[in-house]
Formats: sequence, structure tokens, C-alpha cells
Amino acid sequence: MTVRIRFFAGFRELFGADIVTDMSAGMTLISLVTTQTKKNPVGYAAIFDEKGAFREFVILMKNSKRIDIADAAITPVSDGDEIAVFPPVAGG
Amino acid sequence: MISARERERYKRQMILFGDEGQERLKKAHIFIAGAGGLGSPVSLYLAVAGIGTITIVDMDVVDQTNLNRQILHSDRDIGKKKTSSAEEKLQAINPDITVYAIDVKIDETNISDLVTGADGIVDALDNYPTRYLLNEVAIAENIPLFHGGIRGFYGQATTIIPGVTPCLKCIFPKAPPREVFPVVGVTPGIIGMVQANEVIKYLLRCGDLLTGRLFIWDGMQARAEECCIERNPACTACSGLTDRTKTGKKK
Repeated sequence: MTVRIRFFAGFRELFGADIVTDMSAGMTLISLVTTQTKKNPVGYAAIFDEKGAFREFVILMKNSKRIDIADAAITPVSDGDEIAVFPPVAGG
Repeated sequence: MISARERERYKRQMILFGDEGQERLKKAHIFIAGAGGLGSPVSLYLAVAGIGTITIVDMDVVDQTNLNRQILHSDRDIGKKKTSSAEEKLQAINPDITVYAIDVKIDETNISDLVTGADGIVDALDNYPTRYLLNEVAIAENIPLFHGGIRGFYGQATTIIPGVTPCLKCIFPKAPPREVFPVVGVTPGIIGMVQANEVIKYLLRCGDLLTGRLFIWDGMQARAEECCIERNPACTACSGLTDRTKTGKKK
């Protein structure tokens, strides 16, 4: 099973444009993103808080549909899914 | 009524949308929150397009560090109020429009008065707390909100029609941490153009607006993408609004 995690804005500077990875069955959105970002401690800390929860401002999309971070632990990820992870950009 | 002088000035765009379209732009009043990186290109291009009344609000003074991107302001404006510089430039580039440049900090006590009579609100701000105020007043007064945000080479934009599209809080329920954001001037140029283009299309009632879509620009990769965005039924700002999609209510 292959999925693609895409990063935008400041997260792209930390992880590059995307990570395409094989994953095992039964993963959720949060377990997938945690597994794939943990190797980069600075990047991980930008996305997750000390308790391992998504920081409250993080925006998640699955196949271009917004997923509330509160639902990330119950949102399954399937073969071919495309996940987007990004912070709102604030400047003007 | 379009004057002979205006007819000449707008000749090339009136080929696209005629007297009726130009009249729509002339009668419009657009409120621009911020005269900085986004507010500069948005206001300049709305001014040259012939938007009849532009209100632009900012509380800052022109600083040298603004000049890599805030093209309303020049080196000689350093130390001047941004509103004074903005009014001067906008009236110089198009003396046929009315410009109200208001030197004030936008807050919950003045926002309703500031947007009175506006046909659209342009978000050219640099922080989310004030953006949320714009979002609230846009919902309360049923005025479209043209959102833009930038950082570095990245930018985002969407068009919010209260009761029809997701509001700013549906999309970004929590503000990111404050920071001194890096920026290269081309990024607010690009995003500001997307916003101004949206305003013009909205007023002309033509084309497809960036409604229900978040436009994302990555200048480093020269790639524009978009994500579908939907209303959040539990949104703290707009969940009480009746769905206006079916009635097609438009100002």
C-alpha cells in the first residue's frame, strides 16, 4: 500500500514537498503522519505537541478534503490516498 | 455614468465587459484591510481597474524594511503614515476614483462602522486575530471576504461568501503562532493579484470564483494547487447561518 504525504508552506521547508511511502494496513491519519515525521525531530515538533497530538493550527487534508485534527485518530488511510499537511500562512 | 475620459482610460477592459461591467466597478465600494504587502498590489490594481470607492485601513508608519514588498510606498515615504502614502499613490494612479485612507487599528469596536457600505472586504492583514474580526463582520453584514495570506515563497487565497462557502474559521479554526515572517515581494504580488482578480469577477458577476477552494501557491516550485474546503457544521463563527447556497443570495 502506497500513500503520499504532501507538505506545504513552512512544513515543506522542513520535510520537502512530499513523502511517498509504503504503509501497513490499518493505519490512521495520525499514526501515518507521526511515523513518517518522527525521523525529523525539528519537523516533528513543528507539527506535533509534546503529547504527540497535532498542534491546534495544523490543517489536514485527505484526498483534498479537510479532516479535523480531532478526527485524525479515527480517520483510516488507504492505498493511494494523498494526505496534505500544512500550517495557515499568516503574513500579508 | 461613464465619462468620456473614463471611457478612454478603461477602453481596453471595456472590450471585455462593456459599459455595464465598468458601471458595476464604478459603483462598487471595496474595503481593504491593510496597506502592506498584500494591500499594496490589491489596492493599486483595483484602483486602475476603476473601482469607484476604495477604503484602505492601516495603522502603521512606512519603515525601510517594508520596501521589499509594499509597493504602495517609496523610499521618500519612510516615516510617513502608510495611509497618507497609500492615498497619495492611489489618487495619483487614478484620480477618477474616491479613496478613503483611514489611519486606525481595526478592532471589535470600529470594524462594523469601517465596513459600512462596502460591497467586498479584502483581507490584506498580517495576523489571524484581526482576520477573525474581519470574518465575523463579513458574516454579520453578509459581505464577501477575499482572503489572502503569504509567507516566504508560499501563499494562499480563497473567496468567502457568508452562508455559501466555508468561512475563515471553518478553514483555519486556530491561528498559527505569531512570527516575523520571511517574505519576498513577488509572493504578496501574486496572491494580491489573485485577490484583486476575485474582487473584479465578483463585481462583474462573471467567471468562477475561488469559492469552496483554497488556492495554494508555491513560488519555489512555481506550482499552484488547490484544496476543496467545506463548511464546518460546528464552526464557532458561521454554523448559525442558514445555508444560502440554494437561494443564491448575492449582494
